[in-house]
Amino acid sequence: MPIVVRPYSEEHVPAVRDFNRRLRAGGAPREFSFPESPVPRWLPRGEGRKVYNEFFLALEDGVVRGTYAVKTQEFSVAGEVRSIGFYHHPYSEGIVDRAYSAVGVLLLRDALRRQPELFALGMGGYDRPLPQMLMAMKWAHFLVPFYFQVIHPGRFLRRMQGLRTTAFRRWMMDLGAFSGAGWLGIHAAQAWRRLSRGSRRRGVCVESVASFGDWADELWRECQPHYSMVAVRDAGTLNVLFPPQNAKFLRLRIRHGSRTMGWAVVAERREENHPQYGDLRVGVILDCLARPEDAPPVMAETAAALAARGVDLITSNQSHARWCRALEQAGFFAGPSNFIFAAPKILADRLQPFDQKKLTMHFTRADGDGLYQYL
Amino acid sequence: MNEAHFAKIRGIAADLFQMGREQITAETSPAQIPAWDSVQHLNLILSVEQEFGLQFEPEEIDQVRSIGRLAALVTQKVGNSR
Repeated sequence: MPIVVRPYSEEHVPAVRDFNRRLRAGGAPREFSFPESPVPRWLPRGEGRKVYNEFFLALEDGVVRGTYAVKTQEFSVAGEVRSIGFYHHPYSEGIVDRAYSAVGVLLLRDALRRQPELFALGMGGYDRPLPQMLMAMKWAHFLVPFYFQVIHPGRFLRRMQGLRTTAFRRWMMDLGAFSGAGWLGIHAAQAWRRLSRGSRRRGVCVESVASFGDWADELWRECQPHYSMVAVRDAGTLNVLFPPQNAKFLRLRIRHGSRTMGWAVVAERREENHPQYGDLRVGVILDCLARPEDAPPVMAETAAALAARGVDLITSNQSHARWCRALEQAGFFAGPSNFIFAAPKILADRLQPFDQKKLTMHFTRADGDGLYQYL
Repeated sequence: MNEAHFAKIRGIAADLFQMGREQITAETSPAQIPAWDSVQHLNLILSVEQEFGLQFEPEEIDQVRSIGRLAALVTQKVGNSR
């Protein structure tokens, strides 16, 4: 029986459950589990909604052999607003049974046929199968830089599991934490960055808002021409992505006098025994918008607001060169990134010369599936 | 399956999987070659598409479950003339 790709519907739920079970039994990573409901919990399709998720299944005689999802969203690309798809959750039976190694290719080709203007984001690093497939297909790509700022060095040194990987490192980090040398060193380095590059500006204030209003629409209209590629960030879209009733998101409006300079959405991530962060309180700058020249005060105020909430560490992924500099000015350091942006030729051709245009594309954690965990 | 098509595809597969040509038969499938994973499957498809100047539809990609099936599919798409 040939494998065909079909939209996920209620009748397929038991087959998806079996597929997830086979992946787990075959040793696939725990996170390789496709939703066991055809209606997405995150961004289901609704009337008039411009941001929505759709699920697809590769079926062989009713048995699920692969899955993928596409989040459709409006983007401004070289000034033109277009509907573009974000390709995510591609899982193939080929992960656990090489007889199905064709399924990964089949899924990707099917997605491209349905939505030629696709992109992929995140993916966990270039050594993973999906980025390797995208590279083979000659998709344009780059790593979206990752930044971090340590707010509580003592806790960071004692609990940052991702760095405490050997006995020697643990000993050194404990020594740094208990002697105070680590506290001093980290604070001094971050303070030097802030002082030498000075990003906080007099008269700038930050307020927490319950939702995005007309002011966000006005800011979007001002900002759109400054970015080569940016997801539409008008108030309507933002209130769908960051629903006002979801208290996990903190929406910050940054103003200078009566003028809105920008906004940021932040959240706190705290897990027991996270493989990277242990039980650290991690503040994440999920999304933001301002004119590029206003990025420094917006990032500085956002980081200060997160620090005031008591987080131990702040992280952010930013693709735009000016936003990256703004984070450095606010005392952040660049860390190793595994957050990849990739786009097929048809989309990359709209962004030529790509090596220059990629520096003015605005991608953050909110543009992939990074908001899913805050449902 | 056209023998000339099979011979070309056997050469592509041998290079890709770093095996001797004689080890690749019409029955050779992902189950027999540990290196034949999803990424190498794509590389095989892309190399064959480039060699024969064609593009497989998603439904056709699923039919590629052995080298012989791939050669037969190429023959079906381009005819026996090439």
